[in-house]
Amino acid sequence: MGLTGFEVEVQRQTDGGGFVTEDMTLSMGPQHPSTHGVLRFVVRADGEVMKEAIPDIGYLHRSIEKIAEKVGWHGFIPYTDRVDYVAAMFCNHGWAMAAEKLGGIEVPKRAEYCRVIADELCRIHSHLLSVGSMAMDIGAFTPFTHAIREREYLNDLFEELCGARLTFHYMRIGGVGWDLPPGWTDKVIHFLDRFEPIVDEYDRLISYNKIYAERLVNVAVITPEEAVDFNLVGPNLRGSGVSYDVRRDDPYSIYPELEFDVPIGRGEMGTLGDCFDRYIVRMREMRESCRILRQCLRQLPDGPVIARVPRTFKPPAGDCYVRLESARGDMGWYVVSDGTAFPYRCKIRTGSFAAISMTQHVSRDLMIADLIAVIASFDLVAPEIDR
Amino acid sequence: MTEFPSMESLVHGLVESGVAPAGIPMWMHQLLAMLIFGGIVVFGFVLPIAGITTWVERRVMGRIQSRIGPNRVGPLGFLQWLADGVKNMLKEDIVPTAADGPLFRAAPYVVITGFVASFAAIPFAGNLIIADLNVGILYITAVTALVVVGILMAGWASNNKWSLLGGIRSAAQIVSYEIPAGLSIFPVVLLAGTLSMQGIIRAQGAAPWTWYLFDNPFTFIAFFVLFVSSLAEGNRTPFDLPEAESELVAGFATEYSGMRNLLFFMAEWGNLYVIGAIATTLFLGGWQIPWALDDHPVLRNALQFGVFFTKSYAFVVLAIWLRWTLPRIRVDQMMEMCWKYLVPIALVNFLGTATWMVLFPQGLAPVRWLLLLAAVVAIAAFVRRVAFHIRYARLERRHLSFNPLATARSPG
Amino acid sequence: MMGFGTYLRNIKDAVATIADGMAVTASHMIRKPVTLEYPDRLPDGVRVQDTLPFRYRGMLEVDLEICTACLACERACPIDCIVIEAEKDKAAGGLVMTRFDIDMAKCMYCGLCSEPCPTGSIHHTPEFEGADYSLESLVRRFVKAPTLAYKPKKAGEDDPVIKPILDRGMRYLAEFADPDAK
Repeated sequence: MGLTGFEVEVQRQTDGGGFVTEDMTLSMGPQHPSTHGVLRFVVRADGEVMKEAIPDIGYLHRSIEKIAEKVGWHGFIPYTDRVDYVAAMFCNHGWAMAAEKLGGIEVPKRAEYCRVIADELCRIHSHLLSVGSMAMDIGAFTPFTHAIREREYLNDLFEELCGARLTFHYMRIGGVGWDLPPGWTDKVIHFLDRFEPIVDEYDRLISYNKIYAERLVNVAVITPEEAVDFNLVGPNLRGSGVSYDVRRDDPYSIYPELEFDVPIGRGEMGTLGDCFDRYIVRMREMRESCRILRQCLRQLPDGPVIARVPRTFKPPAGDCYVRLESARGDMGWYVVSDGTAFPYRCKIRTGSFAAISMTQHVSRDLMIADLIAVIASFDLVAPEIDR
Repeated sequence: MTEFPSMESLVHGLVESGVAPAGIPMWMHQLLAMLIFGGIVVFGFVLPIAGITTWVERRVMGRIQSRIGPNRVGPLGFLQWLADGVKNMLKEDIVPTAADGPLFRAAPYVVITGFVASFAAIPFAGNLIIADLNVGILYITAVTALVVVGILMAGWASNNKWSLLGGIRSAAQIVSYEIPAGLSIFPVVLLAGTLSMQGIIRAQGAAPWTWYLFDNPFTFIAFFVLFVSSLAEGNRTPFDLPEAESELVAGFATEYSGMRNLLFFMAEWGNLYVIGAIATTLFLGGWQIPWALDDHPVLRNALQFGVFFTKSYAFVVLAIWLRWTLPRIRVDQMMEMCWKYLVPIALVNFLGTATWMVLFPQGLAPVRWLLLLAAVVAIAAFVRRVAFHIRYARLERRHLSFNPLATARSPG
Repeated sequence: MMGFGTYLRNIKDAVATIADGMAVTASHMIRKPVTLEYPDRLPDGVRVQDTLPFRYRGMLEVDLEICTACLACERACPIDCIVIEAEKDKAAGGLVMTRFDIDMAKCMYCGLCSEPCPTGSIHHTPEFEGADYSLESLVRRFVKAPTLAYKPKKAGEDDPVIKPILDRGMRYLAEFADPDAK
């Protein structure tokens, strides 16, 4: 087995002069400043140029899906926060939607609006971290701190809304846990007014910087066909030019009433489907989220924010599959109920899991520095991969 | 060649006035004077500069990132570097069992030697230089290349594949960028007619239009080529692949702890000053001041020191500013930039300056003024762009603070 | 082979974008930093805990004066970090609590316990500085001596000691979503 933990076939090459060289096996991780979470890659490289980068996952596996079977329908919602703690609202939303579909519960209109507002704020929250860490991995530390500074303003908004900054537990089965506090909508609008110029400033600082563009352009090109074959979703899929967004193509909640564009990669700085396209799609999605938020805040109706749901929730036996557009793409929740107060099985399908399997395919003939760029452009988060 | 006032005349003066003991041969006096002055420079200037630059870097970095830098240890965090130094000295010195012992232990010393030895020829003022070698600039270029050996030793001896990668990258980088750096020094040497540092400075004047930077378009571009190449030699972002934090943890210095680690990074930060000193000497007129002040040598030297230090430190701040703005260049792109862009441009500069000197032996005054005007216009355009960014982010006067040591609660 | 036009354009792009990036960072150098210097550089007398919003889910606190010993919080907690022991005592006139322990080391600050509480007795506080040296000290024992459980009065509370506590508890509960809101 050796140091790698699994078998890696090391090749030897002989060049024309009879000089024999061997590949180098490097273990990148699990402690590493740039893999996003606890990931490990076993890299087989010939100097700087990689032959293969094999992902080794499972360091952050916490049996969350099994825990669902123990804590019950309401008790599981805080655990969904931890499935993807960078974009926790979406996970709350997914579980709530699945439980409501099984139990036949109708969510009040205002609650749906609150959910979408929370979702879109969380999308900005997650994308800020993604583009910030990407810039930091490529070597520019300043855009990371600027992104974190903006996240702090969002954290303050979330703190006022639901009392927590990372593990929100905002949504409940049948609606949301708290109504919007008085004066909060003005604060959100104030934040958006501040934030939209900052996105442009971010672009000027780093996105179109020649050095940054050179690092990302033409690296790890994924054609639209490959992207669909390998099951990529979200900004990874849209970066390859495939225009598919669950919010528009398989709408849920109140998205049919909202007007927004779905940005896709166009290969503007290099080839269609390279790392730069995936990155710029996330920047543009942040702007679209601002647009959605302004519409929601304008159209917000009155009413209750939660439906009446019994404390011991027992949906009828059956199964359901719901999907929503998380920050990392199409997140699928397959939940099976057996009629008791405890779910029978819960399976979560996340975007990062497919993306990490793509890393091995894409890493041939890339340089080690490019592997960092690829991991960052896929926006992998380890908790989502391992659950 | 006229004898410039220097260490030798100082030593002669001391011996004649009876301060120095009389029975020792003159060459020993000279040697002792050099060692003593070298010691004063190293412990009184070089090491504190390396330390204080870390404080400046962390505070400038903080402001760029919308935060304060260190502010706990000492007033305004000024003693942070002392605290870091003491901490590093007290740390356990870990040498991996599988590491190549002698090489591993020797590497930091090779690097710091390469860095400190360059200070033997760096001028501080008209009379303040340890040794005014007549091959000054060549000596400095040669001695700073010693760090390559040290870094390779560190990378190999660590018995760590990531360190090895960092060491190899660094070797390729430093060796490659020696070429454009050297080629950019040649135009200045041609103009000044000497390799001696003091000689080059004396060939310029105090006024900007007498600096070599504005002498002709070729030296103007040579200045930028030299600055970029020096950054690459100093392992600074955008060329910090050898110690790329997000890729290789700390590159060649990953396995080092305690004092050995500190020596590596002291060499890096102190090298910023060397870069600034070289650029100032060659292109910015060095320590030249507008007044002769022949009767007041102490005042003259003090003013000259101030001028030289300010100009060199401006480059240090510029390098810090660049580091916290730009991302990192990849290895192959860095090599491409060196060999396909900088080397041809540096060659063109060299030939161009030689041609210019043949065509216009005294230089061309209108060209000098034009270049100076171009520089002023560029700076003005830059300031306008900064004002645009402030306006675009919808900032008001209360959000701004021109005080470099401001905090969130200090008055704007 | 790269054309000469591309060559010059590369140089021009590099210089232009780097200069613009440097202008952005220069504009940041003259902005005020946004650092909130915690904990001792806030305005005098202001603790960070006082600046946090009312809904902030910090460490749990139990107001034993208004606890009805209904055990709803113990049932709701998904991690089983709340342990309550209460027995019916005819002589004392109701339920008597002998134990109310919350293991803060296990608590995940989800708030599932505070929602079903009828009086708002168990609630989150803005307190977040709970670090300690031993795991045992993180178990908060709220019952010092056997306590009689609270019985909510139909006509409203009039005891001057208990009323403010009950008001605060009900205010905490009112923050939660109400299915009957308009």
